[in-house]
Amino acid sequence: MPVKGSPPSVRPAGSGRTDAATTERRGRRGNARTPTRGALAERLAPYVLVAPAVLIIVVLRLWPLVLGVNFSFTGDGELNGTPVGLGNYLELADDPLFRTALGNVGLLVLLLPVAVAIPGLLATFIYLRVPGNRVYRSVYFFPAVLSPVIVGAIFNLMLGYDGPVNAALGAIGLGPVDWLGDPDIAMFTVVGVHIWATFGMSLVVFLAGFSTLDASLLDAARVDGASLGRVIWHVIIPSLTRTIQFVFVTTMIGMLTSMFGLLFVMTSGGPEGSTYLPEYYIWHEQGQMNRPALASAASTVLFVVMLVVGLLQISLLRRAGRQD
Amino acid sequence: MRQQRWWAVLMVAGLAVTGCGSAARTESPSGESPQKQQQKLVVWDWKSSEPAAATYIEKAKADFAARHPGVTVEFVAQPFDQYYTLLGTAIQSGKGPDVMLFNGGGQIRDRTDALLPLDQYVAEDKSRLAGWEAFGKDGKIYAAPVTLQGHPIYYNKALYEKAGLDPAKPPATWDELLDSCAAIKKATGATCFALGNKEGAGIQFWMSGLGSGILTPQEYDDWIAGKRDWSSPHVRRIFELWKEAQDKGLNNKGANSTAMFTDIFTVFETGKAAHIIGLMSDIGHWKDFSEFLPPDKLGVMQAPVASEGATPSLPYDGGIGYAVAKWTKDPQLAADLVRSLTSTEALTAFYAKAGAIASDTTIDVSQAGPAVGGIVQEIKTGKPALHVALSSKTLDLMGRLSQQLLSGSATVDEVVEQLAASDRAG
Repeated sequence: MPVKGSPPSVRPAGSGRTDAATTERRGRRGNARTPTRGALAERLAPYVLVAPAVLIIVVLRLWPLVLGVNFSFTGDGELNGTPVGLGNYLELADDPLFRTALGNVGLLVLLLPVAVAIPGLLATFIYLRVPGNRVYRSVYFFPAVLSPVIVGAIFNLMLGYDGPVNAALGAIGLGPVDWLGDPDIAMFTVVGVHIWATFGMSLVVFLAGFSTLDASLLDAARVDGASLGRVIWHVIIPSLTRTIQFVFVTTMIGMLTSMFGLLFVMTSGGPEGSTYLPEYYIWHEQGQMNRPALASAASTVLFVVMLVVGLLQISLLRRAGRQD
Repeated sequence: MRQQRWWAVLMVAGLAVTGCGSAARTESPSGESPQKQQQKLVVWDWKSSEPAAATYIEKAKADFAARHPGVTVEFVAQPFDQYYTLLGTAIQSGKGPDVMLFNGGGQIRDRTDALLPLDQYVAEDKSRLAGWEAFGKDGKIYAAPVTLQGHPIYYNKALYEKAGLDPAKPPATWDELLDSCAAIKKATGATCFALGNKEGAGIQFWMSGLGSGILTPQEYDDWIAGKRDWSSPHVRRIFELWKEAQDKGLNNKGANSTAMFTDIFTVFETGKAAHIIGLMSDIGHWKDFSEFLPPDKLGVMQAPVASEGATPSLPYDGGIGYAVAKWTKDPQLAADLVRSLTSTEALTAFYAKAGAIASDTTIDVSQAGPAVGGIVQEIKTGKPALHVALSSKTLDLMGRLSQQLLSGSATVDEVVEQLAASDRAG
């Protein structure tokens, strides 16, 4: 594996540089022992250097976050600015719409394996050189360059009740499906479209992973007469563990953070509120219902959810790293 | 030396960033005198960028410039999808436009905290303009109406002719409507109603468009006055008919996935449905339909009477109107701009170019065809639309529940009960 080969070639050079720096610093300290001003400046230097970055993070990130969380404990409308304690959070817990939104986050997590398996399988076929693999390589990537709004608009037309998809189904004798109007189907439709629109990126990552695959292992498996299924299961998947984990993480982030455009264009959260996600709920309460404080509370909940998911993913990646 | 200079740059940058953070909290960082700031008024809306509204804005600007030379007016057209989100942010920070456009009803009532009562400034316009109620709260007026928005029932006269019905005599009762629709379906295959309920707006149009044919005048007035009796059989009937229309196949297929704005209007224009509860201004109105349906093929009918004692009337309110922000420096100046934006000349231009039914009752509409004539003559006896009286929270809920009624996953009883609870909670 080339990855294994590269670190040794980098590390000695890097460690050498560190050594040089240490000796230089030692030398300078020796010279500047008497004037204490220099020592003080040197002690302060790292803080000064780090200060701008810390300030930017504190002022532009953490402080607004604190303000937002603080704001979520105040009321809306006539109660604007008055503390209401956990009122907003209790209202959220009571709101079936918000519960649906959180439930849909759970659904996204459950659908994650599908979203990873599709680009994985297609990349495998490309790697195994199925006829026309060069064409597929570019065709698969094409939707990834379209904006969610355009994708949504295209699929709105395609999946309309009297649209071409239903017409095609009708031609082969299947009843029309209300893709975006049936609350039991709509969320799957939107997730399906999202996967269609974004799997190209994961496919590229998988192909990059394949380029590190040891071809002799595949040849050995073939010589032993392994079937395609067995090659995938026993050779390809174990060799690509890290790539698969990376795709899992990025796909999860993509699903949780970039579905808004599609939802906005395709379903507006409907039908019957079945396709709400926390992001859309926050936008709806803040912009349409004029409930900024409630929206703040929902944002805080979403933040905590993302934090938990993020930490889980980090620990997963760490464990994977150790295994390697 | 070079490195030290770099540090200095970084330090300054860091300080500048912190400086900006705190500067946002001070009131007037620019140090300009209030007098100088007065020379400019900023208007937010979602209309001024539309070609159809160009002449209207021009006329209003000219009218204002004649009265206040030297004051510049800047129109900032925001995308409508994001309008109230952006406005909410401006209100939250207590800074923003001096004058802003609002939809009547819930959208403005929810935000009156940030607005200036206009009663003293617009007293002269009270009788000339119609539709003030939609912009009022607790007896005060917060915006001057530009257009009227309402829900006339349009019908396709060509389909009536094909079915052998008299296009000059649309059905007057619900039963007659069912008969006519059956005849039209048989002769042309067109459905009775064009219904788009993807956004949950279809039920609002339904409630207001048909409400005057279902509630008694007393019930209607009580509803508008805030005394809403959700247990009344007539209120229930609104939702029963909604469900009945779906169950009897009066609606086009896939109503829950068809957008009101603007897919459903195409269904009506192209003759796939005989009736539509449309709008009077903006879109989905007589001028909008005229591309496919010439004025002589488009009729306007009153709500069919569906229960005894009901007297049909045109449901309408102030559609859009300009309001003045509480934080504006010179309220008189901003209010004068609002008056220019509702001057007869400007509104006439808006009516002529955009086809909107303007709030000004003195505009002559005799040239525009029978549908417009039919609407305008009803304005005198018209009443505020039923759904406009509800809070945006209740309307939002009603949208979702109406979708459940169409799909059969909720009963009329459950729906009415939930709406009553939401309405009582305010």
